[in-house]
Parts: sequence; structure tokens; C-alpha cells
Amino acid sequence: MIGASLSRWTMAFFAVAICLLVVAEALMSLGYGFPSHALEAPETLLVVHLVAIGWLSLLMCGALFQFVPVLVAKPLRRPALVLPVLVCVATGLAFLLAGFLEMAGTLDSGIPFLALGGMLLPFGFALAAWSLAETLWTARPLALPARFVAMGLVCLVAVAALGTIFAHLLSGTLSGDALLARERPAVPLHAAIGIGGWLTFSAIGVSYRLLPMFMLAPDGARATTRWVWRSGVAAVLALCILAPVELAVGESALWSLAVAGACALVAIVLYGADLVFFFRHRKRRVVELNIRAAGGAFAALAAASVLGIVLVLDGTLATQAGALVYLACFGWLGGLGLSQLYKIVPFLTWLECYGPVMGRKPTPRVQDLVAERRDGPWFVLYFVAVFVGTGALLAGMPGLFRVAAAATLLASVAIAAELVLARRLHNVAAARRFPDGTRQPALFMAVPKGR
Amino acid sequence: MSHPPHYDLDVRPILKAGGEPFGAIMNAVAQLAPGQSLRLFASFKPVPLFDVLGARGFAPSAREIGNGDWEVVFTPTAAAPDGIDPGPPPAGEADAWPAPAAEIDCRDLPPPEPMVQTMEALEALAPGEALVALVPREPRFLYPELDARGHRWRAEPQADGSYRIVIVRGRGAAGP
Repeated sequence: MIGASLSRWTMAFFAVAICLLVVAEALMSLGYGFPSHALEAPETLLVVHLVAIGWLSLLMCGALFQFVPVLVAKPLRRPALVLPVLVCVATGLAFLLAGFLEMAGTLDSGIPFLALGGMLLPFGFALAAWSLAETLWTARPLALPARFVAMGLVCLVAVAALGTIFAHLLSGTLSGDALLARERPAVPLHAAIGIGGWLTFSAIGVSYRLLPMFMLAPDGARATTRWVWRSGVAAVLALCILAPVELAVGESALWSLAVAGACALVAIVLYGADLVFFFRHRKRRVVELNIRAAGGAFAALAAASVLGIVLVLDGTLATQAGALVYLACFGWLGGLGLSQLYKIVPFLTWLECYGPVMGRKPTPRVQDLVAERRDGPWFVLYFVAVFVGTGALLAGMPGLFRVAAAATLLASVAIAAELVLARRLHNVAAARRFPDGTRQPALFMAVPKGR
Repeated sequence: MSHPPHYDLDVRPILKAGGEPFGAIMNAVAQLAPGQSLRLFASFKPVPLFDVLGARGFAPSAREIGNGDWEVVFTPTAAAPDGIDPGPPPAGEADAWPAPAAEIDCRDLPPPEPMVQTMEALEALAPGEALVALVPREPRFLYPELDARGHRWRAEPQADGSYRIVIVRGRGAAGP
């Protein structure tokens, strides 16, 4: 039995991730990228990677470095790699985005930015996967939540490998007719493994532990959870093994994507059943804002699943993929991220500041670090704006989409400001803020007790 | 006199799955050949078992084998009693756990309240006194704090997923 400690750099991951979310939302509200530009335009690629790598992947890495040790009750292996992960991924992303600017003609430097990004990003993600996978390895046999994270890491490696090939094809450091012919059909695969595999699988794994923990619901392994796992793994295998084979023989991976989609659908429905079970069997009658706000994210996941089915049956998936990706990234993953940050940041801040004196001095409650009544409307605005934005994309109304994106920007900035206030203990009454033996936590870094 | 090899039982998978290994351990004990010892692998030091198997005539010998895991060999004592209470097990001083002076149930409290309540109850005790705390989940953020303050503790998973923590207040654990 090993205790968990605070991850030193998790707050820095969160801070960089939120800043990049704000930049992405600002760009979208200014009309940069889809739908003002084409889906495959470099401007769209820039915004998509800003969101998928800058916001969602850095958020997930920061969260996993903190919670994988809690999930498996083992200390993080190779903690020295954590800061290099942040530096490599952030720098690699900057290079990648510069490469897209070169493609768009905005930048003309002659520096092979895409190739540089295509080296630093996979290196950074490989370091993250190494540290986390080795930690999971020491904890075998893995309980189900940790297995989801393990599969998420497999997908991280796969999506990074595909992305690396794309970056080097685009920059010209890699060539070959066979590869070039398959670049386009492999793009949906890259997106599906990234959003559905790496990000969704990991988010589901962490949520299986965190949600019951904060709702006081039973979290023993259930039959539905085992089937979420099995069907999810089948979807990932279809994407990571079947699809490359299909692409090697033919020129598209449509069948593999269809199989993966069907399996993913089963997994999502059963995951929904588990969420309902947690909610119904919770011991806390009144749930906090992070759980209520997560409801918006789960609604977005359900809506994205239905939208996916409709678009496939309608034959419009290729033209409307932008709306689907937007809903999945901002409604489901981003919404879950923002809502859980609203709990995780105050919780970790409380532990850091008040852990050393708890029991000896009166300490505020974790809820005292936030002002739920003030912040609830920001989450409502965020989710309403995401749903309106999705509708605007589907209806082909770019003007309305920009308004919706501006509303998500406003809500995200407000929530980010509240997280900074929580970290600064601003909402705690001044007289109770710093009992003897406590000190102000640093904004971007946790200092584990040196005792 | 040659001894049969250890009977090996690894209860870590059961504990990992949130299960209760007591039945499996008692089954193993029932299957031991005369004079055979039981080698148990667990993810914590199974102190409560020392009493239970001590009463059946087994002496424990525990060692930590890394990663927080423990190997305990329960060897039948020479005078294996038949219906005679062998008395307390020959456990070392460090293994002596006093009867709890206080017990609290925090199973219905959200995190981190169980930790706060546990620490408050513990601070009210005199050094050397023991507290039993029932908490909803394994309190992994509590352990480093207990260690840092010099308290001795052991945690036992319960069948419903909750944990029973026994903490003995450290002697040098007054004030920060």
C-alpha cells in the first residue's frame, strides 16, 4: 500500500492546456479555420491540432501523471520525464503550427517546421507513454479503469505514429507514391484513433474512478463495465490493426471504420448505463457543480453518437465531419475536461495547502475554494454555445458559429479565471485562509512536502 | 526431519480486485499437510492474520518484498496445540497493536473529509493510543501524511470496497 503524492508539474500542464484552448476558441470566433476555410485547409489543421494536442492531450497527460499513480496505488515511474514531456509537446506543437502557417502561406521562413514538429511531438508523447506505461506495468494485474488508460496509451502511440508520417509526408522528408495515395484515406483513421482511442478511452478510464469517488457511489467492477472494455478494445483493434491492413490492400479503410464505429457505439451505450448506475446509487444526494457540469459532457457524447449514426445513414459524414469533431472535442472531451478541472484543481490545491495541518488546525472545505453559485452559469453558457455551434456548422451558418465560438471563449476564460482564484485560495475567508504551518501554493507548480 | 515445501498462496489478485481473501487463506490452511508452512503474498502486511493463525498454532515471519508487497511464512509451531490456546502470537514489538481508543465512521463523507475527520480524531488521542477509522475508499493521499507525522497505521480493504484503517498515534507526533 503506497500513498499517492502530488504531481509537481500537473498544474503547469493544465495551465498551458487552458491557455491553448483560449487561443483556439479566439481563432474560431475570429473566423479562422473551418467553416470559413475548408476542412482540409492548413488553417483548419492548425485549429484542430491546437485543440487536440494543445488543449486536450496536454490536459490528459497532466491528469494522468497525477491520477495513474492513484489509480494503481504505485508511485509514478520516471518522474524526471514529466517536465520534458511538457517542453517537447509544447515546442513540437509550436513547430507543427508554424508548419501549417507555412502551408497556408502566412509564414515564409524556409525552416522545415513540419518535420521538426514531426520529431519533437512523437518524442514528447513517447516519453509520456513510457513513464505512464511503466507505472501501469508495475501494478499488474490491472483493474478495469487502469486498463482503459493502458489502451488509451496504446492509441496515443498509434495516433502519434500516424501523425508523424503525415508531418513528414507534408514536409517532403518522406515520400513514396504508395504512402501518398493513402494519406487522405488515413486522415479519418488518425482522427478516430486520437479522439476515440487516446482521449476518450483515457477519459472513460479516469472517470470510472473519479466520478464514483466524488459522488460516493459503489465502483466495483460491473458486467456492463467489462463489456464497455471489450467492445471498446474491439473498436481500437479495428482502427489500429484492421484498418492499416485494409489500407494496405485497398485504398480506403471504410469497413474498418464502420466496424470500429459499431463497436464504439455499444461501448458508449453501456458506459452510459454505468454512469446512470453511479448517479442512482450515489450516497451524496446533492452533487457538486463538477458532476452537474459533466452532465453536459455526457449529453454531448450521446448527441455525438446519434449525430454520427445520422450522418452515416444520410451519407453526409464526409461533408459534415467538422460538426461531429467539434461536438466530440468541445462538448464531450473539452466539456468533461473543464468540468473536472473545476474539482481537480481545488482538490489538489487543498491537499497541497491544508494537508500538512489537517486535524491540527481548522481548515476550510474544498468547496470553500470555489464559488459554485457564481460559476454554474459559465458552464451552462459553455455547453449551450457548443450545442449551438454544432447546429450552426450542420446548418451551414458560419456567422452563428463564430458567435457560438465567442460564447465558449467567454465561458472558458471565466472558468479559467475561477481556477486561478481557486489556486490562489481567493474564495476562502481571509481569516481562515492560511492557518499557521500553511503557505500559498505556487500557481503553476505543486511543491510536494519536503518532510 | 524433512519439511514439505511451503504451500504458496498469493492473495494480491484478490485484494487488487477489491475482494476479501480471508476465505481463500482459511481454505489453504485447511489443506496444509502436517508440519507444512503457508507462504502468503499480500499487498499489505496482514497483521490481523497473525492473531487468527497464531491461535491455530502458526508463527508468522513477515518481510517486505518491494512495491509495498509482503511475504509472510506461517510456520506451525513445534507444540502445535490441539484445543489448547497457544496464547498471543510471538510477534515483535512493532507488530503490537493496542485496542482502539476511538472509532469513527466516515464512509458517507466526500473526499477529503474522511482524511480531515481521521486526523482530527487522531490528534485528540494520546501518543500510543489507537484509532479505527472507516473510510469510503482507500485513502491514498492520507498515507504519506500519516508517515510524515510519525504515526503507525495499517489499512484493511473491506468487502464493500470501503477501508478500515487502524492508526496508532506516534510518540513524537505532537504539533507541526
